[in-house]
Amino acid sequence: MSTEIVAGPSIGSRRLRINKSAVIAEGRALLALAIIIVVFSLLSSRFLDSTNLIIMTRHVAFNAVLALGMLLVILNGGIDLSVGSTVGLSGMMAGYLLKGWPIPGTDTVAFPSVWVVIVLSCLVGTLVGVVNGLLIAKLNVAPFIATLGMLYAVRGFAELIGNGETFTALSGQESLGNTGFIGVLHGKILGVPFPIWVMIVMAIIFSVFLGRAPFGRWLYASGSNERAAELSGVPIKRVQVTVYVLSGLCAGIVGLLLTADLSAAVPSGGSGYELNAIAAVVIGGAALSGGRGTVRGTLIGAFVIGFLVDGLVLVGVSVFWQEVIKGVVIIVAVALDQLQQRLQKGRTVKDAGAPAAPSREERVPAAAS
Amino acid sequence: MIRRPALVAAAAAALMLTAAGCGGGSSESASGSSSSSGGGGGGGGGTIAVITVDPSNPYWKAEVDTTVAEAKKLGYDTTVNAHENDQTKQNQFIDSAISGKVKAIILDPAGAKESIGAVQKATDAGIPVFLVNAEIDKQGIAKSQIVSNNSQGATLGAQEWVKAMGGKGTYVELFGNPTDNNAKVRSDAYHAVIDQYPDLKLVQKETANWDRQQGKQKMETLLQAHPDITGVIAGNDEMALGAIQALKDAGKIGQVKVLGFDGNDDAAAAVQNGEMVATSLQPIVQGSTLAVQQADSYLRTGKTGVAEEKQAINCVLITKDNASKLKGFVLAQ
Repeated sequence: MSTEIVAGPSIGSRRLRINKSAVIAEGRALLALAIIIVVFSLLSSRFLDSTNLIIMTRHVAFNAVLALGMLLVILNGGIDLSVGSTVGLSGMMAGYLLKGWPIPGTDTVAFPSVWVVIVLSCLVGTLVGVVNGLLIAKLNVAPFIATLGMLYAVRGFAELIGNGETFTALSGQESLGNTGFIGVLHGKILGVPFPIWVMIVMAIIFSVFLGRAPFGRWLYASGSNERAAELSGVPIKRVQVTVYVLSGLCAGIVGLLLTADLSAAVPSGGSGYELNAIAAVVIGGAALSGGRGTVRGTLIGAFVIGFLVDGLVLVGVSVFWQEVIKGVVIIVAVALDQLQQRLQKGRTVKDAGAPAAPSREERVPAAAS
Repeated sequence: MIRRPALVAAAAAALMLTAAGCGGGSSESASGSSSSSGGGGGGGGGTIAVITVDPSNPYWKAEVDTTVAEAKKLGYDTTVNAHENDQTKQNQFIDSAISGKVKAIILDPAGAKESIGAVQKATDAGIPVFLVNAEIDKQGIAKSQIVSNNSQGATLGAQEWVKAMGGKGTYVELFGNPTDNNAKVRSDAYHAVIDQYPDLKLVQKETANWDRQQGKQKMETLLQAHPDITGVIAGNDEMALGAIQALKDAGKIGQVKVLGFDGNDDAAAAVQNGEMVATSLQPIVQGSTLAVQQADSYLRTGKTGVAEEKQAINCVLITKDNASKLKGFVLAQ
């Protein structure tokens, strides 16, 4: 406990250190991406084909947007396991509304226009985030447990919306004024698919948010050392709720994009996506203990996973080996991260001649003497 | 400080309860289980536990809906749970059915070998088990095993698809969940037919885990690797529908012949408008109905009324000719 007080106020100097280590972490993820690109382009001439690159990047975009939300949560030292289910719920919501919403208690069926559908579906995602945030910040439920519970509950709601059914009538009708859902969300702008644009725009917004807004500083501070941040006046509860809300919003957006991409709202949509998002964040150099991670690193992490998965299919690696290789890449990336952390911590301690800022886990390095 | 863990534990417990309730899948479960159980008993009545795979897939949803409706018609309450091919979950649902003293269990088993123990356990506790859709590798424990003839259905589908291909061309295969026995049975039956034609060449086999979204994304990448394919065979309709969406996006739907399996409504529509060559209708509605009827007969008379424990029901080939008559896994006469 005493170390916290020592390390508390030095927010400025810690930010410097974060940036240095972040650059190295990103460099390593970038190296992994470069290796993947070189290896696959040697194995398949189609890999670097522009059509294939666009398809792979579109696949990456879904995971990347989820991972951006996950990054905020992980920076806060939390985890959000409910995002995959939220993707399914938001997609089902969109499918349900486009098919026509029978207003309870009346015989009328409402056909909301596409922008209303989009807003409402995103709101549903946000709402899941609000529940997560309140459970964690107000009721002190551990993030892992709260979002695990929501993983099940939200998936259940996704199935309840259509009573397990798949919605395929998404194109709308001219006479009802609800056309354009697929046209816009599955369309292209300047030859680039819409999901890729969403990824780019969200990445820019999130990096500005983290780098320039006070919220960013609060988030890094509360993730590194919650108590110290609270003592320096950071509204830690508000920060905590906000990250889950934004993560839910990201999941809601991905749900819409995936539904338009498939031209169908399936209740099982997005199952297991939470793990890919976490993997992307971690490969991108973020620490699960909080306080460390960047938008750029997360994007690179998403590209590493996405290019790897598609590349393995492209060159025709057998199904079971695909899983093995994906697992090994994730482990190697994180193991390297830990190794380098330890080396760096040792060096920092020697340089400064004082204990380093402790992580939330209070892992005091062995070389601290 | 001391109260906090207690609060966390309580909240966690509450969440688990919610999770169990929702994970159970179909909405019928809530209304069904709560009502009687204790007092029921005389001629019909009592509760039948329905344990299925995953009601978010239209195929299993039809299985659940049919079973619940038929049981209700014959005067039983039902509880519905979904094990998602997880033997541990299946075991837990069997345990709670035993402790809930249900009259009978209708089970879509999670694995042919793995489910033997679970069926044995219920039978030992005096609860008759009726298997539907999939079988177990042992006879004499369950009262009935009503399975759709996957091999026969896949053979019919493959024959129709070969005809559409004109006996030549390159194709890819989308394989079901590799740990599911049916994935292998269907694939083997496809190849028993297709491999007789040396001009039909399989260029890649990929799993999409029965899932539409995975089917689409895998197909998009497969189209990059093999832009010139003219055929796709899929282990179920959902993967086939995903592949069709990918082909549409790539503007190749006209040149590629897709084969599905299951006969769900979206597939029927795809067959009707020419995007899918054919699919094989699994008689899941018929099978589920029979399972409930045999359970009812067994509970009333001690006999299922059928000589054989293992009953295979044949699949029906769905092509453009009859696709319009297919709805909710029932083919109108």
